[in-house]
Amino acid sequence: MRVPLLPRVAQGEIAAIDECLDRYGGLIWSLARRLSPSSPDAEDAVQEIFIDLWRSAARYREDLGEEETFVATVARRRLIDRNRKLHRIPKPQPIDETTLTYASPEVTPIETSEDAQRAAACLKKLRDNEREVLELSIYHGMAHLGISERTGSPLGTVKTLIRRGLTQLRTCMRLGSRVSAEGGVAL
Amino acid sequence: MSTSGKADKDRWEELQIDRLLIGLSPDEQGEYETLSRQMHSDPSGSFERVVASIDVTWLESNSIPLPEHLRKAIRDQAVQEWLSPAPLLAKTLTVNRTAGRSTRLPWIVAAACLALSVFTPFLNRPAKDILKSAAQLRTELIASATDIIELKWSVGPTPIAGAEGDVVWSPERQQGFMRFRGLTVNEPTHQQYQLWIFDKNQDEKTPVDGGVFDISSNGEVIIPIHAKLRVADVYLFAVTIEKPGGVVVSTRERLPLLAMVKRT
Repeated sequence: MRVPLLPRVAQGEIAAIDECLDRYGGLIWSLARRLSPSSPDAEDAVQEIFIDLWRSAARYREDLGEEETFVATVARRRLIDRNRKLHRIPKPQPIDETTLTYASPEVTPIETSEDAQRAAACLKKLRDNEREVLELSIYHGMAHLGISERTGSPLGTVKTLIRRGLTQLRTCMRLGSRVSAEGGVAL
Repeated sequence: MSTSGKADKDRWEELQIDRLLIGLSPDEQGEYETLSRQMHSDPSGSFERVVASIDVTWLESNSIPLPEHLRKAIRDQAVQEWLSPAPLLAKTLTVNRTAGRSTRLPWIVAAACLALSVFTPFLNRPAKDILKSAAQLRTELIASATDIIELKWSVGPTPIAGAEGDVVWSPERQQGFMRFRGLTVNEPTHQQYQLWIFDKNQDEKTPVDGGVFDISSNGEVIIPIHAKLRVADVYLFAVTIEKPGGVVVSTRERLPLLAMVKRT
């Protein structure tokens, strides 16, 4: 398990900023690229995310969750919030382009957090159609309507599959009651 | 559970998921907040954690490196933020966003201009007076941690004459600092020092990498310890000399300093 960097950031250690950029820059940039409508927008977003991260560094508690998960939570909140405020949802890309540009993600990370490893294992237990809609929604940032068009499933079915998939993952990862009781990754 | 209770729970879960994946409209946000107050056991964190874990799973193994210009901008901005009295950036961000501008980095420029105009005397002070130095952080750690291990450096198999100092380490916080005097100044493009932390729970052949560092002065130098992995039960710190950037596994051919934890 990697040693968290945010406590050092909270203490004002500049070296920890560099290490955070090394460790999480790719994760945040990749997430911003996938969930932003354009590259310039992703650049703005990633800077806002890092500001959020520096400012929330003191609130991170290692006993409530892993740092990687905390960082991804901060990033996703900001990205979804930006899209909503600007009344934008990333446009679903044409199927061919999606397939070419965004191949299915690997699900066997070599050196990552325990949360992520658990998530990877639980994802394998989902049905193909559940996993597919989650991949299109979470990984590719597609709106429900876009997923419906992409998969040929009715909109209601897409919503049901997403919800069922996430509920099963939550159960599988055994995060439900324990996390809510402890506050999870509350920011 | 009553019918209305189940309906509320269903709606509650639906809103949580939409909030994570596509965001909520103002009306939905209001509904979300109302339901979140009604629901005694708030499971929002768990869905959020599930999605964040999936993000990490899928993106860490498929990530795109952060562009260098962006990295530099973020770093510069972070340092600027450290130098600024607290709310500077928040104000600047609000002004830019409400004005509807969407150019790149506008707030960095604005923040820099505002900082320069208002806080020029402050900014003209040397950074070392404002930023917390390693010495300050070390002092704070010693003062606040209750489990500090403090050790003197002793000579290793390939000693450097006159090198001395100490190391402090907090197992609970996984933080520490090395202090050196008389350690040879290194040329970073030629060789660098590297710290190794030996953990009783780990094979002696694979100590934890404590970070690569440089010595820029023969006087007192304080270096923060950057353990790459959690150290459960430290028993030895060792400094080696390695190629620039350090190594994954050291040959231990050049090992000038050691600090052993004495067991009582």
